[in-house]
Amino acid sequence: MHAQTATPADTDTGSPPVQRLGNRGRWVRVVVALLGAALLLAGTLVGQDDDFPFGPFRMYATSDELNAPVHDTRLHAIDASGHHLVLADAQTGFRRAEVEGQLPRFRRHPGLLGALATAYHRRQPDAPRLVRIDVVDRLLQLRDGRPTGRYTDHVEATWRAR
Amino acid sequence: MRALARWFTSPVPLGRVAAFRTLVYLFVAADLVFFTPWVRLHADLPGSLYQPLLIGRLLPLPTPGYLLVTVVFWVLLAAALAAATGRAPRLLGWLVFALYLEWMLIAMSYGKVDHDRFDLLVALAVLPTAGAARHGVPTRSERAGWALRCTQLAAVATYFLSSWAKLRFGGPEWLTGATMTRAVLRRGTELVEWSTHVPHLLVVVQFLIVAFELSTPIVFLLRGRWYYLQVALMYAFHALVFAAVTISFVPHLVAMASFLPLERVRPACWVARLLTRRRTTVPAG
Repeated sequence: MHAQTATPADTDTGSPPVQRLGNRGRWVRVVVALLGAALLLAGTLVGQDDDFPFGPFRMYATSDELNAPVHDTRLHAIDASGHHLVLADAQTGFRRAEVEGQLPRFRRHPGLLGALATAYHRRQPDAPRLVRIDVVDRLLQLRDGRPTGRYTDHVEATWRAR
Repeated sequence: MRALARWFTSPVPLGRVAAFRTLVYLFVAADLVFFTPWVRLHADLPGSLYQPLLIGRLLPLPTPGYLLVTVVFWVLLAAALAAATGRAPRLLGWLVFALYLEWMLIAMSYGKVDHDRFDLLVALAVLPTAGAARHGVPTRSERAGWALRCTQLAAVATYFLSSWAKLRFGGPEWLTGATMTRAVLRRGTELVEWSTHVPHLLVVVQFLIVAFELSTPIVFLLRGRWYYLQVALMYAFHALVFAAVTISFVPHLVAMASFLPLERVRPACWVARLLTRRRTTVPAG
């Protein structure tokens, strides 16, 4: 009988005493919970990422065509000694997904990329300073969903040190 | 309405919320150091790259810089470890919630929002209201019950509503599209590489994923072994996803522990018992 009627959550009919809530405490909690649920539902229906933490849970939510090219966003840079490098996330503290998120902004105001050169210098104070950064959108071609090894690069924004 | 209120506040043992509290606050500390160490790197970014989210625009929060990020990191780490002991649950609990929310805004206000920790944030928001709770205490509390119920609801909502988001953003064609195929091709492990060669298999998997996500609310109707089976299924889902494409939602796995009778997990007691047993056997030998 015990195993059937007892729920793991709570309705155990055993002896431990129960600390009850007052009427006010109970209803405040119910209202708060319902408000939170309403916000989350609204966020899922019409919200965007901007509404964090109530935005829609859109991880892997877009539907893809198998052979649509894959976008690979890269930061190509040249430093003062003439070296070409591809900036890794940890070299600037700015993640690749964040480059993609702010890409429209970088296209409109390429000068903002200078902030990444500043961050690079802060994180690598002994390395030569960067004199140029290009945001490159590399389109990887797929066949049967697999990379063919061919790609095309588009430079989306360029910053040069003055 | 009264039944709803009673359901929202079904009492649970204080020992359960005490154990859940320790788990959640230890995770916050581990998250800062091990799971999302990249957040700290935002300290070196100039303010021009900061794009505050709605909540960051509504609240008078400063633009993150080196000082702010460093101070939040260390104070939050200390507060989370202190809160894990269960002391001053309201003061430390609200402090950790406020600082962790700010930490998340520092993380996600630079162009990318992650979706893996809504339920953890809910847990941090409700845990302070559970009040004092000591490990192992069987007394049941409605305050504690509400805190765990809210976390459970948030955990289930992340499944149910992510299917909803798939319909909204991907449309019905998400079910028959190539999202899984591309995910496996991009980051699939050796365990699942073969799956892209089997026609339609990953489309079937997509149907199964949505069916699973939409069915998760039944956990609130199940009892006894079926209840545990459903909770185990939710954990197994993530084990499979991790084995297949190495994506893990650790904060969500922590929040889901709100479904478990954690009061029975007493590592400190087990160690103490082991030590006393050894002490009593040593003189004999």
